[in-house]
Amino acid sequence: MKNIITKGITKVYNPDTIPVVALDGVDLEIEQGEFTAIVGPSGSGKTTLLNIIGGLDKPSHGSVTISGTEITKMRDNKLIEFRKEHIGFVFQAYNLIPVLTAEENVEFVMLLQNRPSAERDQRTTELLEAVGLGDKRNTRPAQLSGGQQQRVAVARALAPKPDFILADEPTANLDSKSTENLLDIMARLNHEEGITFVFSTHDQRVIDRAHRVITLVDGKIATDELQNPEK
Amino acid sequence: MILKIAWRNIWRSRTRSLVVIGAIIVGIWAEIFLMSFSEGMVKSYIDNAIQSEISHIQLHQPDFLKDKEVKYVIDDASSLQQALQSTAHVKAATVRSLSNAMIASAKGARGVQIKAVDPANESAVTRIDTKVVEGEYFSEGKKNQILLGRSLAEKMNIKIRSKIVLTFTNLNGDITAAAFRVVGLYETDNTMVDDAVVYTTRQDFNKVLGGGDIAHEAALFLEDPEYLDTVFSVLQAQFPNLKVETYKQISPEIALFDSQMQLSTTIFTVILMLALVFGIINTMLMAVLERIKELGMLMAVGMNKARVFFMIMFETIMLGLVAGPIGLGLAYLTVLYFNHTGIDLGNWSEAMRQFGMSRVVYTTIRPSMFTELAIAVILTALIGSIYPALKAIRLRPVEAIRRI
Ligand SMILES: Nc1ncnc2c1ncn2[C@@H]1O[C@H](COP(=O)(O)OP(=O)(O)OP(=O)(O)O)[C@@H](O)[C@H]1O
Ligand SMILES: [Mg+2]
Repeated sequence: MKNIITKGITKVYNPDTIPVVALDGVDLEIEQGEFTAIVGPSGSGKTTLLNIIGGLDKPSHGSVTISGTEITKMRDNKLIEFRKEHIGFVFQAYNLIPVLTAEENVEFVMLLQNRPSAERDQRTTELLEAVGLGDKRNTRPAQLSGGQQQRVAVARALAPKPDFILADEPTANLDSKSTENLLDIMARLNHEEGITFVFSTHDQRVIDRAHRVITLVDGKIATDELQNPEK
Repeated sequence: MILKIAWRNIWRSRTRSLVVIGAIIVGIWAEIFLMSFSEGMVKSYIDNAIQSEISHIQLHQPDFLKDKEVKYVIDDASSLQQALQSTAHVKAATVRSLSNAMIASAKGARGVQIKAVDPANESAVTRIDTKVVEGEYFSEGKKNQILLGRSLAEKMNIKIRSKIVLTFTNLNGDITAAAFRVVGLYETDNTMVDDAVVYTTRQDFNKVLGGGDIAHEAALFLEDPEYLDTVFSVLQAQFPNLKVETYKQISPEIALFDSQMQLSTTIFTVILMLALVFGIINTMLMAVLERIKELGMLMAVGMNKARVFFMIMFETIMLGLVAGPIGLGLAYLTVLYFNHTGIDLGNWSEAMRQFGMSRVVYTTIRPSMFTELAIAVILTALIGSIYPALKAIRLRPVEAIRRI
């Protein structure tokens, strides 16, 4: 079963100096195929939660289990390998390798996975088409707009066929049209291919598109509601 | 792909990479030039010493080597000369009578060594005839001719064609004096020799010594130094009563000089490589710090530490691989050029002559130096990349990404 289960995650930054409690006992279960938004005021712990779920950071207490594997106890290098196979990331910025073209960026993680070249080529083409950038395959990130870059990042995150895609404010740097566009693509991939998306956001229009909205306040889950997305 | 990324990363900050590449090129060039210069100097020193002083192999009475007394003679020296001359791989051989003497002039007296030689054979071995700069070499028919070093003649204020008196001990152990006429002045690359050695003919000097066909020293010059050991063994077997020595045994300072030169080049190499290592560390560290977020992202999406480490390492090695061939090529051309034209040491030449070195140094190089240096540069790049690469893999992805 592909799912994410967190049990009592607590994260305290700077425990020795000026402790900051970023997360305070978060219990959460995310199933395959979800399209979930994590919302909450600034500083409520959204980024921290996504980082811990994705194995980029370790909780002070509690555990994260992804598809039956507890990742909180893994060592750094094992975690990197685990992320490579199971989790795709889309960050707010700095998603792409500047010296590689769009196509090479998408191909990159598949190369790390030693996928055969025919498969890589086919999937890269497919994904770039899916995010509407079939004509930009040989363009480097610097020549792409912010929205296009984020779409390449989504394609890149999808390429290794991860179980989950975690996106921390993927639309924060985008104008409303690009935001719309990116969300359409994400929603379609979710709907048609059953890809799980968990994303944090401040943007009401993005929140409205989610199937499930988890609200964090002061590092705790305040509400956790299902909704019928608009559109 | 990692190689591709590494290669493209190099050209992200073109100027910085070019500076490093330039530094490596200059380093390699300077290194090879210095090595070839000192090799050339050592070679010229050794060649000079062998050609004009010690020759490849010498033979003496064993006792003469201990006491330097004139009574320890080699009898029947002419046939020894012929025997040596006809030995395989011997280009030329000569025999000499030797004696310490006092030379006197209005300016005072000085101790010198008399080398009494057979003119034709001697010039075949040491080419002393070509070093006569005033007057002329020994000619037939004249009696008691003598050649002085020019510097000695100047110091003693002795004019050419003047008569001088040498005082020495003869074979009976009596102090004797004999008059000689200065027919020529010579000048070698070594002023110490010029000041201390005077040449006369063996024929005349043996008479005043009170001996017949005697000599104290035989010296021979080989067709090629590579036969040194062969000829040495042959002669040792052939003349069990004489002490046979190669130039290495006669003049241990040659080996010393060689090792001194090598030591100083080694020190220079180490300093240079250290400078390169620090330059590379500095540059690559900048390259890593600039890309913290990107490296964090790479680790977040699944690039493991080994790959990150090698990526940084490859970038450094590539800098070396670009710079290496250029530096080696430039150095090769420079060495080739100065191997033809030589480097005129001009103002330094007086000082050089004190030590028996010629004023023009021809750069020489062993081909192995190029390989050694190429390996050294790659190693340097490797060492220089370790710290920045470690720095890169110590980054934790979250912290790297979070940093502004
Ligand atoms: N590296 C850190 N060291 C110390 N405190 C931190 C660190 N990272 C985050 N925090 C603190 O932890 C709390 C939660 O931060 P987090 O970034 O998870 O919030 P967020 O919900 O993502 O906020 P935003 O909406 O502004 O992105 C904040 O109070 C923040 O100041
Ligand atoms: Mg955040």
